[in-house]
Amino acid sequence: MTKQKRKNEPEFSDWFYRDLFQQVPFNMAIIDKEYNIIEANANFTEYFGNWRGKKCYTVYKNLDYPCVGCNARLTFEDGKARVSDESGVDQFGKQAHYVVHLAPLRKRTNGPVEYIVEMSRDIIETKNWQMEYQLLFERVPCYITVIDRNYKIIRANENFRENFGDVVGRQCYEVYKKRKTQCPNCPARRTFHDGRVHHSDQVGIKKGGEKAHYLLTTAPLGRDTENIAHVIEISTDISHTKALEKEIIEAERLAAVGQTVAGLAHSIKNILMGLEGGMYIVGKGICKNDKVMLNQGWEMLERNLNKTTSLVRDFLSFSKGRLPDLVPVNPNRLAEEICELYKEIAAKIGVTLTVDLDKKITRAPLDPSGIHTCLTNLVSNAIDACRMSDKKNGEVCITTADKKGVLSFTVSDNGTGMDTEVKRKVFTTFFTTKGNQGTGLGLLTTRKIVKEHGGKISVHSKPGEGSYVTMAFPKKRLQALYEEKDSPDGTENK
Amino acid sequence: MKKKVILIIDDEPDVISYLSAVLDDVDYDIHSSDSTADGLEKARKLHPDLICLDIMMPEESGLSLYARLRRDECLATIPVIIISGMESQQEFDFRRYVGDRQIPPPERYIEKPINVEAFVATVRTLISVVPGEPDENTQRQRS
Repeated sequence: MTKQKRKNEPEFSDWFYRDLFQQVPFNMAIIDKEYNIIEANANFTEYFGNWRGKKCYTVYKNLDYPCVGCNARLTFEDGKARVSDESGVDQFGKQAHYVVHLAPLRKRTNGPVEYIVEMSRDIIETKNWQMEYQLLFERVPCYITVIDRNYKIIRANENFRENFGDVVGRQCYEVYKKRKTQCPNCPARRTFHDGRVHHSDQVGIKKGGEKAHYLLTTAPLGRDTENIAHVIEISTDISHTKALEKEIIEAERLAAVGQTVAGLAHSIKNILMGLEGGMYIVGKGICKNDKVMLNQGWEMLERNLNKTTSLVRDFLSFSKGRLPDLVPVNPNRLAEEICELYKEIAAKIGVTLTVDLDKKITRAPLDPSGIHTCLTNLVSNAIDACRMSDKKNGEVCITTADKKGVLSFTVSDNGTGMDTEVKRKVFTTFFTTKGNQGTGLGLLTTRKIVKEHGGKISVHSKPGEGSYVTMAFPKKRLQALYEEKDSPDGTENK
Repeated sequence: MKKKVILIIDDEPDVISYLSAVLDDVDYDIHSSDSTADGLEKARKLHPDLICLDIMMPEESGLSLYARLRRDECLATIPVIIISGMESQQEFDFRRYVGDRQIPPPERYIEKPINVEAFVATVRTLISVVPGEPDENTQRQRS
């Protein structure tokens, strides 16, 4: 049946095909069985330069002989079209990457292949992107691994390989943590499960056996969140930061030692003043044969000797350096315990002790005995401040809060308050405003315990209006301390 | 002749007893206060010839009271000895605690525990000086 010519169908004449051949936006060339280029289009000429009278391998690759494994030869033999990635040089000698489509040209259907049309497309940009991506993956200054559903590492970047060894094909938990079984709370497992990004703090072991602290992010690879085949694990090594943190804590400890020694000297000077005063009055009593004076001086000596005993006892207790014994506890319960303990004592001197608890607060790793000591010190100070005040209705309140990842206890009072001078000194010396009744170690001990928990203590006060002291504990630090205590060889966050 | 009046302000009763006993031997009229509020009231009432003042006290520090004394026209010229164990005599830097340049430094800073002879000599010197005219030592300390 003769094909009917459609309306508006162009006349396909020689000029049409010639023009189409020339204008097609690819490099096109026709070669014969001897690999001579017998025709090429404008794109080809622009890209490869003069081709007339040259062999295709000379034009494409600047060779004097046919390429090894030449696809054109195969197409001449079997008449099948082919596609291949090729590298060569352009007319300026610059490296060129292109995809080549080969198609056989026959004069007759099912006849022998007379010529081959080679259609090539420059993919140098794509190649460059691939190389850049590869370079980025390899050189990025963090650890990157890609794992499959069996937790087998299928790719790892240079930084990771340098630190964890030859890892491809091995289980991630074995490589990261030298474990034989999957890690509890594995973030990759969660990503495989829910298709979401997860973050966690981790401690692993490098190939040399040294500890590595890193922040890990796991993300699904692929668009389908239901059937995730691979997860990418990207982590930043924070071992150096952790080491610096330790150094800072050590420097703070040393500074605290200096302040403690200065404070001790201040306390001893006060006691010496009392002892010398006692001796002076005793001496005077003896000279004047004044029994009243003798007794007064003797009492001063006794009192100051007792103060020395108290100071030494408190100092020894303060100096006992120990790591906080962290266990998960309800912070509200600790506050309530202190309130129950002091409520009656406070009421006897006209002070109302209350709690204002954050009901949403969850259990947190704290040293219950240490926090008990801190709250005891703060509450007893607050009650004293109310007692020293002229106000009739003394009020002390213990408040708990959990805001922005920080757990806090605040003890507030409407007592005497402190001026700037007192506030400045309050943690730095064995400073007491309680005359004979205090050793000045209460707040210093409190600060020490708070710091051991990785927290901070702050004082806000106005003379005549009252004070509030806040102990703030970043929960991440509490968790890190807790995990460090429980698993020295590597841990992860929930 | 009327006895010179000295006011001791310190929250430590033992310090008050000690300083009173020392100064009583030199025949001064000694008064004392264990708080800054009471101390200020007594200073206004007695207008003493000298004030011995502690720094670390509840409610308000001795240096805050000192600043208030100096801002009070009636009390501004009374010589003040700061007696404290907080810092040594050499280390005591008044301007670290009181930034207001209108307030001159105290006449003396004496470190606890005191040297009785030196303390008495200082008291005698300051008391003999006409109020408002600093003695040689004061001038040296203030410069």
